Amino acid sequence: MRAYRALLRKDLLLELRGRELVPAMLAFVLGALLLVRFGLGGETQAGGTRAATGLLWVAVVFTSMLALVRSFAQEREHGIWDGILSAPIDRAAIWAARSTATLAFLVVTQIVALPLFWLFFLQEGRAPSLWVLAGALLLADLGVAMLGSLLAGLASQVHAREVLLPVLFLPFAVPLVTVAVRVTVDTISPQTSGFGTLEGLGFLALYDTIFGLLGWALFEYVVED
Amino acid sequence: MSSPERAPAVVCEGLVRRFGERAALDGVSLAVAAGETLVLTGGNGAGKTTLLRVLATVLRPHAGTVSVAGHELPRSARAARPSIGYVGHEPLVYPDLTARENLELYAELHLAPPGSCDEALAMVGLERRARDRTADLSRGMRQRLALARAWLHGPALLLLDEPTAGLDAEGRERLAGMLARHGGAAVVATHEPEWFAGGRELRLEAGRVAG
Repeated sequence: MRAYRALLRKDLLLELRGRELVPAMLAFVLGALLLVRFGLGGETQAGGTRAATGLLWVAVVFTSMLALVRSFAQEREHGIWDGILSAPIDRAAIWAARSTATLAFLVVTQIVALPLFWLFFLQEGRAPSLWVLAGALLLADLGVAMLGSLLAGLASQVHAREVLLPVLFLPFAVPLVTVAVRVTVDTISPQTSGFGTLEGLGFLALYDTIFGLLGWALFEYVVED
Repeated sequence: MSSPERAPAVVCEGLVRRFGERAALDGVSLAVAAGETLVLTGGNGAGKTTLLRVLATVLRPHAGTVSVAGHELPRSARAARPSIGYVGHEPLVYPDLTARENLELYAELHLAPPGSCDEALAMVGLERRARDRTADLSRGMRQRLALARAWLHGPALLLLDEPTAGLDAEGRERLAGMLARHGGAAVVATHEPEWFAGGRELRLEAGRVAG
């Protein structure tokens, strides 16, 4: 736990000081929303609720790629891996700290992006259930962060990492995004039942549990050279 | 089998480490007694850095046996790591953190005793630059910081890869002082073996012990 806290503090401090990831993530997600909003020529409901929500989640996933591709960049570029890996710690703490930091960056991005999304695409519809929406976002973000950090650790060991990471990450993210879209639509659309929402949240929690366990168990081997 | 407390600092038997088809270490056998300094020499690509990285537990051996402080690698690598202080080719510190923040991070990871950061900074003469970003330090100062980082948890075995690189006269004095205070074993890879005259020299050539 001591190692996890120290590594998380370091990750957050580096972002606070360098401001490398969060501004880029914000610029990307806001740019994507603006582009589609004005690309649709003011037809805010043109693709329907599901399409607009799908757009939000596609923007979230591609925004997360920005953070994940830069994940472990300092360790790689400055050869710091050798220092961290020679420390007497459970290497899963490195993954856990990076997952938590990525989760924090995603949440900050969404706190800014979600109101804009609502304004652009959904203000004429029904107000969503904020608690369900927040729960779905958190569960999905956690899945993205844990899976992404595991794969980023793997990709950091190879040369074509910028190509390899999206190729590995996106197929695994498909079920997560599909269910996240469904749950988000459920919170907005009046036709859906609460049971479907609970089922979706349950799936997201199961996904997080599986990739949490895999990340914890496998990261040691992922960074082994 | 001897207990880890009284075991030789390092024992390698037929150590092999490959990168692809190329064997960077090709059957290296050596032993370093507790308190002994082994000075590794050899040309570029002889395998010095690879040997140090294997001993630092960041590279897995592909064949042969290796033990550090009585712990067999890679099986008991985690148990061996508290005994190891490693200075690599790079300083292994974050450029955007201050010198002190870097040391505090490594102190936490190595469970170093309270006050160890101050002591390590004083030992390498970086007290006045402790609040400066590491990126703003000179090459020699970053090397001093790397020495402090490897030292701060009081390791029984120092693994030093070109420790004199970039150091000015004062930096070298600080390094000499650190080694004198250390008292444990050290494996030093260097192109300046005369600087470590008290140590036993071992030459590597093409991944093998020469002679």
